Amino acid sequence: MEGAGGGGSGGGSGVSYQRFPRVRIREMKDEYMKFELRDTDASMANALRRVMLSEVPTIAIDLVEIEVNSSVLNDEFIAHRLGLIPLCSERAMEMRFSRDCDACDGDGECPYCSIEFQLNVRCDSDQTLDVTSADLHCHDHRFLPVDVAQRALAAEAAGGYDAPEQRGIIIVKLRRGQELRLRAIARKGIGKDHAKWSPGATVTFMYEPEIHINEELMETLTHNEKLSWIESSPTKVFDLDPKTDQVIVADPEAYTYDEEVIKKAEAIGKPGLVEIYAREDSFIFTVESTGAIPAYQMVMNAIEVLKQKLDAVRLSDDIQDNDDQFGDLTRNIQGAAL
Amino acid sequence: MDPQRSDRFQEDCLGNGAKVTLKSLAAPVKSQVDKFQLLPAFLKVRGLVKQHIDSFNYFVNSDIKKIMKANDLIVCPYEPSLYLRYTNVYIDEPSVEVDFVKEKLTPHQCRLSDRTYSAPIKVDVEYTMGNQVSKTLVQKKDVVIGRMPIMLRSSCCVLNGKDEAELARLGECPLDPGGYFIVKGTEKVILIQEQLSKNRIIIDADSKGRVTASVTSSTHETKSKTVFFMEKEKIYLQLNQFNKPIPVMVVMKAMGMESDQEIVQMVGRDPRYSSLLLPSLQECAGARIYTQKQALDFLEAKIRILVKSKLVNFDRAKSILFDVFLAHVPITKDNFRPKCIYTAVMLRRMMDAILNADTFDDRDYVGNKRLELSGQLVSLLFEDLFKSTNYAAVESMNKVYNKTSRSSPLDFLRFIRNDLITNGLEKAISTGNWDLKRFKMHRKGVSQVLSRLSYIASLGHMTRISPQFEKTRKVSGPRALQPSQWGMLCPCDTPEGEACGLTKNLALMTHVTTDEEEGPLISLCYSLGVEDLALLSGEELHASNSFLVIFNGLILGKHRLPQHFANAMRKLRRSGKIGEFVSIFVNEKQRCVYVASDGGRVCRPLVIADKGVSRVKEHHMKELQDGVRTFDDFLHEGLIEYLDVNEENNALIALYEGDAEPETTHIEIEPFTILGVCAGLIPYPHHNQSPRNTYQCAMGKQAMGNIAYNQWKRMDTLLYLLVYPQRPLLTTKSIELVGFDKLGAGQNATVAVMSYSGYDIEDAIVMNKSSLDRGFGRCICSVSRILDADGIAAPGEIIRNHDLFVNKHSPKIIRDQTKPGDLRATDYKPTPVTYKGPEGETTVVDRVVLTTDVNNKLCIKFLVRHTRRPEVGDKFSSRHGQKGVCGTIVQQEDFPFSERGICPDLIMNPHGYPSRMTIGKMIELLGGKAGVSNGKFHYGSAFGEPSGHADRVEAISETLVKHGFSYSGKDFIYSGITGYPLQAYIFMGPIYYQKLKHMVLDKMHARARGPRVTLTRQPTEGRSRDGGLRLGEMERDCLIAYGASMLIYERLMLSSDPYQVQVCRTCGLLGYYNHKLKTAVCSTCKNGDSISTLKLPYACKLLFQELQSMNVVPRLKLTEA
Repeated sequence: MEGAGGGGSGGGSGVSYQRFPRVRIREMKDEYMKFELRDTDASMANALRRVMLSEVPTIAIDLVEIEVNSSVLNDEFIAHRLGLIPLCSERAMEMRFSRDCDACDGDGECPYCSIEFQLNVRCDSDQTLDVTSADLHCHDHRFLPVDVAQRALAAEAAGGYDAPEQRGIIIVKLRRGQELRLRAIARKGIGKDHAKWSPGATVTFMYEPEIHINEELMETLTHNEKLSWIESSPTKVFDLDPKTDQVIVADPEAYTYDEEVIKKAEAIGKPGLVEIYAREDSFIFTVESTGAIPAYQMVMNAIEVLKQKLDAVRLSDDIQDNDDQFGDLTRNIQGAAL
Repeated sequence: MDPQRSDRFQEDCLGNGAKVTLKSLAAPVKSQVDKFQLLPAFLKVRGLVKQHIDSFNYFVNSDIKKIMKANDLIVCPYEPSLYLRYTNVYIDEPSVEVDFVKEKLTPHQCRLSDRTYSAPIKVDVEYTMGNQVSKTLVQKKDVVIGRMPIMLRSSCCVLNGKDEAELARLGECPLDPGGYFIVKGTEKVILIQEQLSKNRIIIDADSKGRVTASVTSSTHETKSKTVFFMEKEKIYLQLNQFNKPIPVMVVMKAMGMESDQEIVQMVGRDPRYSSLLLPSLQECAGARIYTQKQALDFLEAKIRILVKSKLVNFDRAKSILFDVFLAHVPITKDNFRPKCIYTAVMLRRMMDAILNADTFDDRDYVGNKRLELSGQLVSLLFEDLFKSTNYAAVESMNKVYNKTSRSSPLDFLRFIRNDLITNGLEKAISTGNWDLKRFKMHRKGVSQVLSRLSYIASLGHMTRISPQFEKTRKVSGPRALQPSQWGMLCPCDTPEGEACGLTKNLALMTHVTTDEEEGPLISLCYSLGVEDLALLSGEELHASNSFLVIFNGLILGKHRLPQHFANAMRKLRRSGKIGEFVSIFVNEKQRCVYVASDGGRVCRPLVIADKGVSRVKEHHMKELQDGVRTFDDFLHEGLIEYLDVNEENNALIALYEGDAEPETTHIEIEPFTILGVCAGLIPYPHHNQSPRNTYQCAMGKQAMGNIAYNQWKRMDTLLYLLVYPQRPLLTTKSIELVGFDKLGAGQNATVAVMSYSGYDIEDAIVMNKSSLDRGFGRCICSVSRILDADGIAAPGEIIRNHDLFVNKHSPKIIRDQTKPGDLRATDYKPTPVTYKGPEGETTVVDRVVLTTDVNNKLCIKFLVRHTRRPEVGDKFSSRHGQKGVCGTIVQQEDFPFSERGICPDLIMNPHGYPSRMTIGKMIELLGGKAGVSNGKFHYGSAFGEPSGHADRVEAISETLVKHGFSYSGKDFIYSGITGYPLQAYIFMGPIYYQKLKHMVLDKMHARARGPRVTLTRQPTEGRSRDGGLRLGEMERDCLIAYGASMLIYERLMLSSDPYQVQVCRTCGLLGYYNHKLKTAVCSTCKNGDSISTLKLPYACKLLFQELQSMNVVPRLKLTEA
């Protein structure tokens, strides 16, 4: 896989900042992804993380017109809950922002920037009725609420069987005689404006740790000392080889930089038993998506957005006015780019 | 605790880490019994506000009958055979009569329609009907004499004994404790009033340093205060009815105690007493008073003229001694002996105090205090109103009787007005003014509007005790924490500022007693070997081998085996033969046994121990848990008993069963019950600096959350609700007991303790914008508005400033009452009601209620709602007195994050810790973090570690480590801005945060120009009037010192109230400008020759004119500038 287009063409008068980052995907599911990002620095990694959190566009309900609401929750409450329901947003990249859309006047009747949902539920039984995301109806099936779409897929696979205990994200509960009728418009947006548009549930990275065990010193420890030293780490980083009675690094990435093992080593009078560094050019990303877009798509979109942003900066130096506006900043970027 | 359970308990503590080892199995089975289950059982029978309800029940069920019995006869003074006698009184169920149909009232109806939740007081009467000649005796039942406001959940209330479903049907919250009244639609609490004990001797030093012995006597008939004091070694009596202090020996002689020897014997034969009495005896002899007659004559001269009496001279002094002096000591006819003995005992105690300063009484000692509850206060009021109703009936009877021509028969029933009692009670409770002329009682603020800001606020309001002193007194004694408050009054919950330490709150297990029948108890005392006072000579009274027995402040007699007597009484109490709240207290120092059954004493339950062994055993607790045993069973079987503050002095109470020694008589049920409701919310309060807990007690009442289950059916004037309230991750046992876990007021926020951005100085917090987007700290503010008439805004409508609420039309002519149909459209003028809210805030009409008020007029109530998300400047607080405003709101991507992807909801500056020393907050964070990791709620009850009601830090740390966190709660964090790791490990985890009611939106204010006051033409004051921001005196001083004269000129005049005046240079007075002639004229000089124009503040001009109106001539002398 190709890395992000950071850096630019390099060469020129200044030092080259050009790098060739590598990405290795460790694990990839629809809503979860773990990958390594190597040969770049924190600024790149962080930029990617920030963009994933706040600038990858998704679709979320933004405008709610309530016709009837005799439920226990008030209108704003329900509107807020509706907004936070993740909707399938694979098409979000192609869609227009409502503010940029010139095909409509923002009333939601526009195929380019908005999707209309209907919700019409009334409870007529004595049992409490849960109004869930499954009750949100939309003519376009590409924009279903995430959990509904997933279950539809699962049901297809299982042969039309729908687990009754999973009835979607609860919006409100109705009792006899209560009714909720509304029209909701979903729009494209980014997490910066409101967290409901953020596709990432968890987007985080860590520096890859480099663990060097001083084998010589380690051998001076007794079996019990080794065990207690291993135990001192809150996470399972080290293990004891049962055959050779040697301490081995079981899972370096479990290390949380807590330095407990180093403190422990000092406590038993063996400083330097282990040396742990953070590799400053290597990051392990964990990305979890809300389901709005698959984790993989989220990363790709983030790279795309990041590229666009960089392009915007690069393009801006064509216009002379920007020189006065950005001054040093533009010149620095130019210096690096040229 | 059985081994299985103790293992489970250990597992819980150590996070399932404990292993069953041989050692742990071989260890002796712990004998400690987990008595915690007693608490919910106690609260079930006694409840948090049970003292209010008990007191009101006592009034309604027994006291009201006593009052009626004491005033059951009204007789026509002209003809004694014409009378009315009350035979029975009772209170019906709450109802109203609408068009002669009885309609049941429910509390919630009353709240919504501004009515009083009251029930008719019905009496059975027999009375004579007829005229002067022929009379017939008539009996009548169910006569309504007035309406009594009913306390919610009392025995008269419709909610009494209802279960949750029934309560819900009545629109009532099952967690609402009741104990308040609903008067004219508002909920009113009658605060608990703290008072000094009535009818008890208090030895004290007064402001002049004199030793005094005083008794405030209080009976149904009279109230009086008797004071003895010692001045210049002589003892005097001070009584309001006498204008000068009376030598005590004169009083004794006036009561027939003519022999000095007997007086000395009564006080005690110890020569030290005699020598102290000598100067007083000498003074009496010096005044040549030897006989009762002489003494009474002497007293006669000292009577205050104010006392008007029809009695002849000689009898006046005697009647004062009979009725007023030590009024609570009952005497028959001319036998003053009980009062003599009482006086002697008072003197003896006084002299004890002189000889030994330790024997002074402490006014602040809780045992010397009584709490007056709503029942007693309402009873006082009712008695007064009942009497005046009867008096009014007699008055009108007199009027009618004297009339010559009468058509209707004379009967008292017609003259009994039922509005006196109804209005009197309603007015007193709704205004809080208790004015009883008979007792010279003029108390203000007795009742208050129940605070419904949060559930805890209303609970805290119900347990509040209002002080006896006025708040301005600058004394420290009554404000200090009293050791005797232990377990009775909360040591934390008191306001800051002027009422600090005076206003108190009840602890969790406190009960306040009600009066108990005295007669049977007195005869019981006699049959247990108390020697009657009447049979004792003065000499025998203080015999060295006997103790005095004092019952409710009355000397019954003496007992030779006081301890034996006390034990016998206690045994009877434990077996339920006498009331459980009777206290028996042996005072070795005073050589007295005090038996008390009066109302208003605070007491609390304790487990009884025999020789240090608890009577409550494991099987009892099991029975309790299985539901076959109730708290009352514990009480009746003598496993538990109530001790009041005085009796606690005879007990040795062990905190835990394990601490018990052979001498131990009682064991505490749970140590955390010394705290009250508000302090019970704090996790680990025993790890905090104590003032922090006090601050939290005040702030917990301002926190937003859920108010009650029926919160959406209510129409409160101001309602603050949290959108997503949570149950605290770190709970306490108290929280579960009071139901805070069901009606929370806060949210569990992940807090990082670190410095960030500089917008977090001075306790400000940095908040995560995404958290706010997702609903953290979101709240709903509702305001209710009441209008009276019609075109009404619909619920769900968005309403902005100046929008119309009600498009109302009202008739132009109000005077001539014509039928509504007669008026044509032109006769009406539009009087629309507009919404006045803050500009820019979009509010929504939540509910519209149409009701009729008491006068059957249409009344429209609006509830306007507004959802707010937190913004910069909103106030938040943790549960440890650590309040702070939101300093800035930051995007989530800029927030620090851990490699697990945890990102805090808010950031708190670490400087908040060192000076506040709130270790409890740190443990809360740890416990909360462990709680979210292993999916269970951790506990942090006060003093709970030994009994397992609070998790220990070691156990919490172990859980943390097991879930891959550092034992210290610190995390390795990356900066969200740069992506680099932070230099330090960050202490991060969930803390329960409360959103407080103070929000910027309600407070922010600025103005450039705006309204002015008409009189002075200066800008108005205050935010509500869009007022200006005052440049005050101190600011002015700064500007003067700095020399910025033009700035002062601009601020104080140009921007305020500039005014152009014409000043006459000759007379120096103000003239005027004649616009017709276009000249300025001086009205004093009658010309316009030397007029100057200058600018003045309008207020200055006003001052000159006001001075002139008071004949002061302010003349301006002008010089050329």
